[in-house]
Amino acid sequence: MSKKPTSQPALHKVIMVGSGGVGKSALTLQFMYDEFVEDYEPTKADSYRKKILLDGEEVQIDILDTAGQEDYAAIRDNYFRSGEGFLCIFSITEEESFQATQDFREQILRVKNDENIPFLLVGNKCDLEDKRKVSFQEASERAKQWGVTYVETSAKTREHVDKVFYDLMREIRARKMEENKTSNGKGKDKNKRKKLKCTIL
Amino acid sequence: MTTIRHTLQQEVFQPNEERLLAACHVEKLYKKKKASFLCIVSNTKPPLTISLIQIKQSEKTYKRKRSWNLVELKSVDGKNVLADNLEFDLHLDKLYRWVASSAQERQLFIITLWRQSSKYFLKEKPVFKNVPETWIREDVLTPENKFISSPILTLENDITEDFKAITDKEQEDLSSLMANCEFAISNAEAFMEVLARDLSLLDGENVQYLLASEAKVESLMNLLESAVDEADKIEQRLDEYDEILCHVKETMEKMEKKNSMISTVNKNNILLLKELEIIIKQLDLPRKFQDILDDADLTNTQGLKQAIEAGNALRDAMNCQLDPALLRMSAVQEQRKKFEKYKDKFSRAICRQLNNLFIHYGNHKGESDRNTEGLVLPQHSMVHKELIPYTELMHWIKIMDRKASEALKKVYTDSLGKLYDRDVHNLFEAAKEKIAPLGQVSTPTRNLALLGLDREQWTLEVISDDRQRYEIIIEQVLTQLEPVCLQEQQFCVTFFQLDILSPTSKNTQTTLDGMGAEVNVLPSKKAEKQVHEEVRNMMTSLFSCLEEELLSFIGYIEKYDPFHCMYVLVHLNQHVMSAQSSFLSNTLASVLIHMKRTLDRFMQLQIDSIKDCKIARKSKCGILPYVLNLEEFAKLADVLLKSDRRIDLEKWYIRLVDTMIEFINVHANEHHKTPPQVIKMENYHYLYSLLSQLKISVLDNQRKEAKQKYNEALAAYVTHYFGRPLEKLNIFFEGVQAKVASGVKASEISYQLAFSKQELRKVISQYPGSTVKKGLESLYKKVEKHLSEEGLVQVVWRAMQEEFIRQYKMLEDLIQQCYPGSMIALEFTIDDILNFFSDIARSH
Ligand SMILES: Nc1nc2c(ncn2[C@@H]2O[C@H](COP(=O)(O)OP(=O)(O)O)[C@@H](O)[C@H]2O)c(=O)[nH]1
Ligand SMILES: [Mg+2]
Repeated sequence: MSKKPTSQPALHKVIMVGSGGVGKSALTLQFMYDEFVEDYEPTKADSYRKKILLDGEEVQIDILDTAGQEDYAAIRDNYFRSGEGFLCIFSITEEESFQATQDFREQILRVKNDENIPFLLVGNKCDLEDKRKVSFQEASERAKQWGVTYVETSAKTREHVDKVFYDLMREIRARKMEENKTSNGKGKDKNKRKKLKCTIL
Repeated sequence: MTTIRHTLQQEVFQPNEERLLAACHVEKLYKKKKASFLCIVSNTKPPLTISLIQIKQSEKTYKRKRSWNLVELKSVDGKNVLADNLEFDLHLDKLYRWVASSAQERQLFIITLWRQSSKYFLKEKPVFKNVPETWIREDVLTPENKFISSPILTLENDITEDFKAITDKEQEDLSSLMANCEFAISNAEAFMEVLARDLSLLDGENVQYLLASEAKVESLMNLLESAVDEADKIEQRLDEYDEILCHVKETMEKMEKKNSMISTVNKNNILLLKELEIIIKQLDLPRKFQDILDDADLTNTQGLKQAIEAGNALRDAMNCQLDPALLRMSAVQEQRKKFEKYKDKFSRAICRQLNNLFIHYGNHKGESDRNTEGLVLPQHSMVHKELIPYTELMHWIKIMDRKASEALKKVYTDSLGKLYDRDVHNLFEAAKEKIAPLGQVSTPTRNLALLGLDREQWTLEVISDDRQRYEIIIEQVLTQLEPVCLQEQQFCVTFFQLDILSPTSKNTQTTLDGMGAEVNVLPSKKAEKQVHEEVRNMMTSLFSCLEEELLSFIGYIEKYDPFHCMYVLVHLNQHVMSAQSSFLSNTLASVLIHMKRTLDRFMQLQIDSIKDCKIARKSKCGILPYVLNLEEFAKLADVLLKSDRRIDLEKWYIRLVDTMIEFINVHANEHHKTPPQVIKMENYHYLYSLLSQLKISVLDNQRKEAKQKYNEALAAYVTHYFGRPLEKLNIFFEGVQAKVASGVKASEISYQLAFSKQELRKVISQYPGSTVKKGLESLYKKVEKHLSEEGLVQVVWRAMQEEFIRQYKMLEDLIQQCYPGSMIALEFTIDDILNFFSDIARSH
């Protein structure tokens, strides 16, 4: 009668990247606990885990919220490596944070060595329209160029918060399914494939 | 003194035509030796003035020094009234203070001053202070005092006081008299003779007049006497009349008394009549009623109506308010006896009828069909409807025959109680069957729902569908109870008049059994309480098995669902609050208390299970069972946490989570492989995250505490396990730092034997890049092995990378400081390190 918790739900690992102060932690906390923290407390790295229903399927999301302002970018290599999908966040009120997304994108591609890694460009703080510095147009163009989706969010009003996480997880899931199908063929990463096999039952 | 006064008169005053009245030899106070004479002087020619004159003596001559008019004198102050006092003050144009040379002179001087001033000043007499009273009295000049007056003074008195001039009129008469006698002046003797003759003539005439008037007086006297006699007679008459009138008055008074007595008697008669009328009216029971009472037919509506009417009439007659004294009247007594007989008979008839009915209805089926599905507690409104017509009779019996009424009540409760017992029992049996068929063997799950047990074991047999079903069933059962209890309670209250208090003592004035509720008045609070108690007692007898059955039912659920206390509490509480039947509300409340105890026991067991938790011998410890189980637990407890009774749970939640926080720390030391810091870090992290998700407000402090403990454990793990991959370098530089601290200059460290450049190179050579890289790789593996959650591996590794870079930089700095220009450096650069990190990342 009862569901034995022997089969663990699929685990999707999401990394939050972006400059300091753009709202990575705020988005994570809003998604996790439905709360918005007004005061700014710089993060080093925090890990979150939550069970959710993704299109009727119970999955587990692992979110790694990072600092984005490390002295040495190489320190990020390890956790970029561990991520299966990325939310690359900037603040629409800050031009520099938008520019920084370029570096983050490059580092991720380098570490993951994968052009099609699940990735969303996120323009946060869209509630502060009157302070906007980065136009929707500009950000959309960059996303198009990268071949990724651009979404504007507000951690404060919760606008599109669920959307970015769910969309990213769908991408991750789709990616995994695809890899699973072609796993007999030319998998790029043997290690990874083995892991995926364990997860999807 | 006399000679001096004489000399003064002769030499000073006489030449001025003045007269010395008094003189006093004085000195000025405080200026002795300047002696002079104070004199009171009057002039001898009109207008009369009195002066005060001070005379000074130089050799043999006297000179005026000062003089004042007596009018100027404002006051005289004698200083005191002693006889030998010599001082005195005169207030003239200013104050003069004197001392007399002799008391006698002073006295005489002051007296003279007083006398002169009283004589000559009509207004504004000077004030005489501190002078003996006797000196300034009017009679101060009586002969006794005269001895002190001087001869001159006496003379003055004769002149002024004894002379009386003849009046003008007298003078005129005298002159006309003398004019009549031209010779009067010339011949006084002849004139006298004429006068004498005239006088005797006048005398004679006078006598004659006197004699003539005497006779007239006598006749007048006679007249007066007769008048007095007449008056006496009249007086006598009046006395007689007076006596007669007194008689009349007495008679009148007597009549008045009699009159009032008659009216009193009259009034009394009327009152008596009224009283009698009342008695008769009250105690009269019409023939018609007597017949009915004698043979009451209570089986049909018509008979019932008549019986009620007759019964009420009897009750009124028996309960009428009579003076206790009247009860002694034999007629009244007789009537009462008669009534008593009717009462007994009627009461018996009612009892018989109601008894039959009660017993009959004890077998009532109930309105609802037992066979329909669902849980139903049948209502018995038909019974109530059929009994309602007897309500008044029941009330009658309650007043008239307490014992019979109590007996009836008992029959009712016994009979209907059995009915309800059966109904209630059936309801709960049906409910139990719905929880689980009785035949089915239930696996005891009670012990499997403890937080401290392993996740696999802890999994409840009850799935949420079942639990939802239990919740619906208990709600249905509770909902069934309310209308039946309320209906029964309302019926009992009206039918047995439970809301009207029965007298606790008999009224001894009458032989009646009761006199109605008004007789003893209880304070309303107390009365209300008593009413409630009556109602509750009756309902408790009627539903005697309800509480027991409910508890047994709940116990039955417990067997299938140890978490039942959460929702049962919630539903019970709702029904306690909403129940309109006070009995049901009370009963449910008592079950609620029972449930609350069950909850307390349950929670205590949970806490104990946390303490007793056994750590599984797995390769990684991971999240402890109770931390893992808390999420599921919270889900099950949510129903209670969202209800009005959340406080019951909240205080337990605090204890529960406090216990977890405490025991994570304890259990962290019990795993054979995983280090305690990791166990703490992972579990506090998990607990913090879970509490953030649950948002149980009372646990906010615990949430913060968990976060803090997580951070502490993380820091402890990094420092402890990352430790010092460059151990020997560290030890070397610790020595360097110790030297610096003891006073050796940084630049001279290299001259110390133990810390020479040579030594440094030796140590550095032990850490070539490849070794360092290997060390870091094995450290990463160790971390991966310790931790159960990949997310935290990233967090920890990041912290370790930072720590390593920090240590590297510190060493570089020390080399720069202590071995400047020596060109010595570590065998790997920061870029090397970053490459190591990237390689580790890629190889993973
Ligand atoms: N108005 C507004 N403020 C935001 C939003 N997201 C974050 N913030 C604020 O921006 C500051 C930095 O956010 P934080 O999440 O700590 O940035 P992080 O460094 O990227 O983690 C905080 O004060 C947040 O309250 C948003 O969507 N709207
Ligand atoms: Mg942050």
